[in-house]
Amino acid sequence: MLKEKEVIIIGGGAAGLAAAVACQEKGIKDILIIERNAFLGGILNQCIHDGFGLEKFSTSLTGPEYAQRYIDQVKEKKIPFLLNSMVINLNSRKEILIANRTGLQHYRAKVIILAMGCRERTRGAISIPGTRPAGIYTAGVAQELINLKNYMVGRKIVILGSGDIGMIMARRLTLEGAEVILVAEKLPYSSGLPRNINQCLYDFDIPLLLSHTVVDIKGNGRISEVTLAQLGKRGGIIPKSKRKVPCDTLLLSVGLIPENELSRQAEVVLSNITGGPEVDERGQTNVPGIFACGNVLQVHDIVDNVSLEAEYITEGVIDYLQGRSQEPREFQITLGAGLRYVVPQRILTLKNTIFSFRVNQPGIKKTLVFEEDRKIIKKKLFLRVNPAEMLRVKLSSEELKDVKRLKMRLV
Amino acid sequence: MNREFVCIICPNSCQLKVEYEGKTIKKIIGAQCAKGEAFVKNEITNPLRVFTGSIKVIKGDFDLVSVKTPFPIPKKYLKNIGKLTHSLKIEAPVTIGQVVAKNLLRENIELVATRKAKKKNIS
Repeated sequence: MLKEKEVIIIGGGAAGLAAAVACQEKGIKDILIIERNAFLGGILNQCIHDGFGLEKFSTSLTGPEYAQRYIDQVKEKKIPFLLNSMVINLNSRKEILIANRTGLQHYRAKVIILAMGCRERTRGAISIPGTRPAGIYTAGVAQELINLKNYMVGRKIVILGSGDIGMIMARRLTLEGAEVILVAEKLPYSSGLPRNINQCLYDFDIPLLLSHTVVDIKGNGRISEVTLAQLGKRGGIIPKSKRKVPCDTLLLSVGLIPENELSRQAEVVLSNITGGPEVDERGQTNVPGIFACGNVLQVHDIVDNVSLEAEYITEGVIDYLQGRSQEPREFQITLGAGLRYVVPQRILTLKNTIFSFRVNQPGIKKTLVFEEDRKIIKKKLFLRVNPAEMLRVKLSSEELKDVKRLKMRLV
Repeated sequence: MNREFVCIICPNSCQLKVEYEGKTIKKIIGAQCAKGEAFVKNEITNPLRVFTGSIKVIKGDFDLVSVKTPFPIPKKYLKNIGKLTHSLKIEAPVTIGQVVAKNLLRENIELVATRKAKKKNIS
């Protein structure tokens, strides 16, 4: 039997919960959240460190506390959710097939909100040579084992990649009594936030080796040693720099990939750069009525921005459900020097629009320029830019009025 | 004395150039808000951090609940508090904000739960 819903949200993490609460507050009654885990809150449950919620709640919360604020609202508002339920199929007619303990269930919704989050890149994704011993974890898996499952991953630890989760795990493992020998980062700059380098590494005298990577893994049964090498200016290995580092655990914090298998099934067009759907100014994909928000759309560095983005796209959901459409005047946004990506990728209707973007490399005193042909629409100065940080700039509908081509660049 | 600090109070991660003598700050460049100065003041006198970790739950639906110090504590105590959490236990149910340990290290340091745990259904 096909059950009909107004809005179905796939994923009950930070993005899904915020989207559900915002939909309900905007008057949508018939909502369903589908979560594959046994609990709501997603990855926030294992992020037990603090520093969440500074923007949203003006206080520093841990991940579970941040999640609970939204879970409480979902429960207060009696928004229905399914746990232990895996969406195994989604199509462009917005029909969903769910598998859970009761068997298979079919749903159809007027609007689907994709909020599936992201997953970690693994050893396979970065092709580290060597043997295949136990003791190699992605940082997030180690975080889940230690913080939720009461399982300690190792005692002498090397971390590859300076993403935020890797650095946060360096501190966590240290506080649990392990020895974190070093954090190696392939790039000449850290891929995490500067505050985490400070409070997670330097506070505990853990060295951060920039332009270094792991080039070999050895171990019979359990990992016993990695070979570390320095990278030259062009990214090649400097042979003389190779050295062996004994360890019993290797943690990888080498990037996140939006989890878009379902989006692909529904013929949603994905961006090669973000790995998430290409969307318009309110998160709508090329499939009318399918929206995306949170880490499935673009990997965020701060959860507050995930919540804000999820709330923001629900304005588009309402417009879609009410059949409100202004004269569409679709155009793509082009990127010039200094920028890696921007979300949204295209503009469909005239609205106040937030542009989320990342830069290519660190810099100081950079100006973001929005322009149409050579005419400057807006400029914004950033004292410091860092590829680890997602930046956001808003253009008002007034500023976007009459614009037919939009280019962004960093100077 | 001149030193650079990275403020850890918020994700802006302001890079602060600080000139100070003893415990007196003479000049700060780079702070985007007033919290930067308070942060530096602590850093040069008594650096403070929030401890976060987890402790065992007895008869809970989860094996662990996460915990934190409700206020920042001196940085030098972090590792010792980490060790102590290995032997701490709390019986379910646990609510967020519930005090799970008191007067740790005899320094009046408290830990509060940051996650709920329900009593396990034994059927």
